[in-house]
Amino acid sequence: MGLSPYRRLKSLPMQSSSNFNQPKRRSVNLKNRLVQLGLMSVLFLLVAGCSKDGQSTWEAFGPVAQKQLDLFNVLLWVMVAVFIIVEGVLVYAIVRYRRRPGDAKPPQIHGNTSLEIILTIIPTILVLALGIWSVFTLFAIDKAPEDGPDPLQVNVTGHQWWFEFEYPDAGDGKKIITANEMRIPVDRPINISLESDDVIHSFWVPKLAGKLDMVPTHVNKMWFQADSDKITEDLPVTLYGQCAELCGLSHALMRFRVTVMEQNDFDSWVAAYGAPPAISDKAKAGQQLFAANCTLCHNIDGPDDPALSASRLTGFFSGGDITPVPAPNLTDLRTRQTLGAGITDLTEDNLHSWIRNPEDFKPGNYMSERAVLYQNGPASLTDDEIDSLIGYLLDLR
Amino acid sequence: MAAITGVIPRPTSYAGIWGWMTTVDHKRIAILYGVTAFIFMLIAGLEAGVIRMQLASADSNLVGPGRYNQMFTMHATTMVFMVIMPLSVSFFNFVIPLAIGARDVAFPRLNALSYWIFLFGGILMHMSFVVNQVPDAGWFSYANLSDKPFSLDRGLDYWAISLLVMGASSVAGALNFTVTIINMRAPGMTLMRMPVFVWMTLITSLLLVLAFPVITVGLLELVMDRNFGTHFFIPTEGGDPVLWQHLFWVFGHPEVYILILPAMGVVSEVLPTFSRKPLFGYPFIVFSGIVIGIMGWAVWSHHMFTVGLGPVANSVFTITTMLIAVPTGVKIFNWIGTLWKGSIEFTTAMMFALGFVALFIVGGLSGVSHAVSPSDFQQQDTYYIVAHIHYVLFGGSMFGLFAGAYYWWPKITGRMLNESLGRLHFWLTFIGMNLTFFPMHFLGLNGMPRRIYTYSSEFGWENLNALASLGYIVLFIAFLVFIHNIMYSRRSRRVTHDPWDAPGVEWTIASPPPPYNFAEIPQIQGRDHYWIVKENAIAAGTPITEPEALVDPSSIHMPSPSYWPLFTAIGVALIGGGLLSHYALSFVGGIITMMGVIGWGNEPVAAPSDHH
Amino acid sequence: MAHAVEHEYTTTGLNHRKMLMWVFLGSDCLFFGSLIATYMVYRGQSLVGPYPIDIIDIPLTTISTFVLLMSSFAMVRALAATQADDKKGTVNWLLITAGLGAIFIGFQIYEFNTFKNEGLTLGGNLFGATFYTLTGFHGAHVTLGIVWLVAAAILGAKGRLHSGTALDVELLGLYWHFVDIVWIVIFTLLYLIGGFDAGPTAIPSG
Ligand code: HEA
Ligand code: HEA
Ligand code: HEC
Ligand code: CUA
Ligand SMILES: [Cu+2]
Repeated sequence: MGLSPYRRLKSLPMQSSSNFNQPKRRSVNLKNRLVQLGLMSVLFLLVAGCSKDGQSTWEAFGPVAQKQLDLFNVLLWVMVAVFIIVEGVLVYAIVRYRRRPGDAKPPQIHGNTSLEIILTIIPTILVLALGIWSVFTLFAIDKAPEDGPDPLQVNVTGHQWWFEFEYPDAGDGKKIITANEMRIPVDRPINISLESDDVIHSFWVPKLAGKLDMVPTHVNKMWFQADSDKITEDLPVTLYGQCAELCGLSHALMRFRVTVMEQNDFDSWVAAYGAPPAISDKAKAGQQLFAANCTLCHNIDGPDDPALSASRLTGFFSGGDITPVPAPNLTDLRTRQTLGAGITDLTEDNLHSWIRNPEDFKPGNYMSERAVLYQNGPASLTDDEIDSLIGYLLDLR
Repeated sequence: MAAITGVIPRPTSYAGIWGWMTTVDHKRIAILYGVTAFIFMLIAGLEAGVIRMQLASADSNLVGPGRYNQMFTMHATTMVFMVIMPLSVSFFNFVIPLAIGARDVAFPRLNALSYWIFLFGGILMHMSFVVNQVPDAGWFSYANLSDKPFSLDRGLDYWAISLLVMGASSVAGALNFTVTIINMRAPGMTLMRMPVFVWMTLITSLLLVLAFPVITVGLLELVMDRNFGTHFFIPTEGGDPVLWQHLFWVFGHPEVYILILPAMGVVSEVLPTFSRKPLFGYPFIVFSGIVIGIMGWAVWSHHMFTVGLGPVANSVFTITTMLIAVPTGVKIFNWIGTLWKGSIEFTTAMMFALGFVALFIVGGLSGVSHAVSPSDFQQQDTYYIVAHIHYVLFGGSMFGLFAGAYYWWPKITGRMLNESLGRLHFWLTFIGMNLTFFPMHFLGLNGMPRRIYTYSSEFGWENLNALASLGYIVLFIAFLVFIHNIMYSRRSRRVTHDPWDAPGVEWTIASPPPPYNFAEIPQIQGRDHYWIVKENAIAAGTPITEPEALVDPSSIHMPSPSYWPLFTAIGVALIGGGLLSHYALSFVGGIITMMGVIGWGNEPVAAPSDHH
Repeated sequence: MAHAVEHEYTTTGLNHRKMLMWVFLGSDCLFFGSLIATYMVYRGQSLVGPYPIDIIDIPLTTISTFVLLMSSFAMVRALAATQADDKKGTVNWLLITAGLGAIFIGFQIYEFNTFKNEGLTLGGNLFGATFYTLTGFHGAHVTLGIVWLVAAAILGAKGRLHSGTALDVELLGLYWHFVDIVWIVIFTLLYLIGGFDAGPTAIPSG
């Protein structure tokens, strides 16, 4: 089956809420009714507001996200309970002790030490319990279990405003570099090293794990895994990810996808990566155009040449109007679903418009900022030329 | 120099615009602070409007990303540094000397200087709009996005330098209040008799004095990176952007308590007054404030859980942060204890104070859930945090300050704010606030990151965002009601000195108070001084109906107005402004500042004629 | 300076200005603390030279440190003289303090100049940035102190410093001693301990 982005149509009610659905009716007393109404509306809001769509954190597809969600669920209900009790007492006091005409001066109570002590100890115990549990969770999700399946290493580099994925050994020692779409085999731990080439970004795939920042000169490590028994859809399934740290103009448009696939599908993708396709005539023209206009920054047909990457980086930092910058490796563009770091579907039309003027999609992006082609706004290419470029990039399945 | 500065005649008039520009009267300075901060609040509120309108629908094109980033940066910077802090300082100024039975603050001219520097700092920051190089890296401007080469225009210079200028003002003000509170209490006003608002001011001031130097160093390093070629935060040259985060948050977390403690102080005054019951557990409220002030220094890395400090550091900061819930809880319980068995009167001030308690609990609880670092990995930098921010800052600080405004308005102006309009204002604010910010919890948990100028409809965030934007409109109307109420109050009835039957010392004197405050420094009878005094008077059969009698002001030794604070502040502003335009201007500013200091030093505190 | 408030009632019996100075110095502690923290974080992180071991001259700075310490001693004498209504002593000791401070600044200017000639600049490496910032802000504090000392000496010469106004000198003394103590910390950390640092001791990571 094709790779359709993972989307859910309807929001599912939270499971844990079912216990609370039918509060008991004891008396028809107005006050109780009000309290019930309050409780119900809180619960209603909680249920109605939560959805599992898109990059919601309410659904976990792997052990890391699951542990985080479990902790949060307990935390949430503890907080809801504290909320209901404390606000309940507050509202009760407000209603019960409102001033009525002719009220005498109330008793002048100054405090109650034993009550204070009890009310200090209870929260202390509560937060310490939660705190200790957090610490256990922290260490439990820190590293992939060693007795599990062989982990897959992926190095992720953040760029303004796209993600680069490098698999030093995707299988049989084959190195793969791709961008904005990460493929992972199901049921296998993925060890991730995070780095940044420019400013701080943050790597976040809510359904697999919480975020971790990508800090220049720091190498941060995390891991996650997609579990087949947690994913209810048929594989492959595509999940949303997004940069979560303000990183400049197009921070909002720095998204990515993670496709979870069976190990053998993954292996065939790896095998197909970089295999020279049969080039049609139309694409041949495109190939030449590409070599002339695009290879300054983009690589195709294989992993980056390290020397070339280094020169792009220096070009980036030295500024200047027309200097090479690190750019997405386009080798496997034809197998991707999205364009421009997950901001739009990869269709011929969209690709055409992107090459025509990336600025329309992504304000400030370094392609239109730095390429000679876009010095005067939209690309100085004819529609045909763009089509042949697209032919080169896409048509060759 | 001394000779030159000596010839300028000493200002003598208390009236007119000169009177305001040379005033050293804490009550007038309070009004200056209040009005200025309120204007900044409207600006920052309008910026919030741009944010909300942009996000009201998916794929919206109202403003581009550049403008949007500027909007939330300026919105937050303004709200934090130019609204909540100066509004708190406004109340410090008005209330503290009155509440401790003093004639003024310890250093009246320094007080004026603080105000003028703050004003010029705020203006300097907003000059960035004039040159259209607006700060755009968020209110904590993480390096290295805020550094060269990623931020090439001067926006971040405006941000950093204005904050340095305003920081000087805050520290000067805080020094002043620290000394005032420790040293200028009327006889009988022992530490454990001080009103909680005074206590919270003291703690806030000490936090300010200790926290601002840290951010000052961070800002200086940023300015040097951007202008003088250093590489403190530039990774390609060995610098570490994470250092900025530490410097910012070592300041930043104490800062959030700087923002909330004054409001907690206000609430601790308002609740007892309108419950007609002394504050429940006074010593616990005071000590929990102190404990919060101390613990606030040990939690800063909870803003950095996702930076990659490792599980050990994250564990430590998880535990310390969670423990802060305990002293805060103590406060909440004692406020409820104050209401318990009380006789609660629903004045607008009281409603805002109750709203504070109700909403702060929500914000505090979401705060505790951020403290749990494993789940914060999912929530950090999402709207779940934005919801927390606004429950504690809007539901907390702002509500507290609104309560204070309604409570002390009659003392400040001698006239009432309209209570019906007040109630309308409260309900609109309360409803609008929840409508705006409650959905943000869900948005965040549903995965919406913060600081994004646009989102795609496929994520399912549209409805809740529309709701939040609707809430903004309700808030907007609420603010209009409040503005109307202020205008209207100029025509409303005059009040007696003690309209609320309040316990504080400030209610013993006329409304508005005379320039010298107290004809005679009062002898403080106990924690709820004026209640005790009134009680005794009733018992003696001579109930009090009149404020303390007025006397001839010239018989009381008061500090005279002075040009020097304004003059010196202009110098300081020019130093900052010069760094942003021509260094020569800074030089001129330096000279003016020096002249100001010399003139100041040579000027007796009171005009010679005032000696007696 | 402000004479009128001198004898007024205070709750604690401590003078307002004295308390102001103490709290301010507390604030300044955190200022220097943060600068020192920056230095410590970046110790050994410079990617290029010159490194401390190449240029730090401990004997020379020991002399200037000694000079600064002596100035604190002179400051103590100045205060004693003021309290004893010894006008001449006051002026002289204040000027000696200022003079010793100025010698210290002279050493610093010489040091900065030498370092600059040996290639240590603000923008060159992290050692340069942290070193100049920290010692520079300290130097600025000393300079301010010198200006204040000279101003006080002028007042003293006019006869405005005496046992009744000794507080003016006392505050100046507090400030001066504080700046002196900060230098001792800086000298220990930057020179005695950090002075032997060579190139990067660790790759900047994690
Ligand atoms: C007024 C300001 C204010 C206040 C008072 C607080 C109070 C608290 N804050 Fe908040 N905070 C901010 C302002 C404030 N905060 C801001 C502005 C940010 C965002 C900065 C940015 O990124 O832009 C932030 C962010 C922030 C984070 C970082 C989140 C992230 O970015 O990932 C964390 C994490 O721990 C946190 C925690 C807390 C905690 C534990 C409290 C506690 O003090 C709360 C304690 C109160 C209660 C708990 C409620 C009452 C208590 C009871 C009813 C007793 C019973 C309770 C229990 C048993 C739990 N806050
Ligand atoms: C004290 C602090 C404070 C206050 C009071 C507010 C108040 C508001 N805030 Fe703000 N906010 C912050 C502090 C505050 N905020 C901080 C620290 C951030 C983080 C920023 C960052 O990420 O860097 C933030 C971020 C923030 C965001 C997230 C932006 C993003 O991440 O992309 C949003 C989004 O909705 C928002 C909305 C609002 C709204 C709707 C209000 C409303 O309550 C505003 C209500 C005000 C009005 C309605 C004004 C009415 C004006 C008039 C009536 C004018 C009339 C005109 C004339 C008379 C001339 N705020
Ligand atoms: C100056 C460098 C530069 C040149 C020249 C350049 N690009 Fe790009 N390109 C980039 C950068 C940078 C990005 C990433 C933009 C972003 O997402 O922020 C990009 C992104 C793309 C993408 C989207 C990739 C993805 O994974 O979504 C395509 C397709 C693309 N470029 C095609 C081209 C073509 C075709 C040409 C030549 C006509 C070209 N580029 C020339 C720098 C360049
Ligand atoms: Cu990258 Cu935000
Ligand atoms: Cu914090």
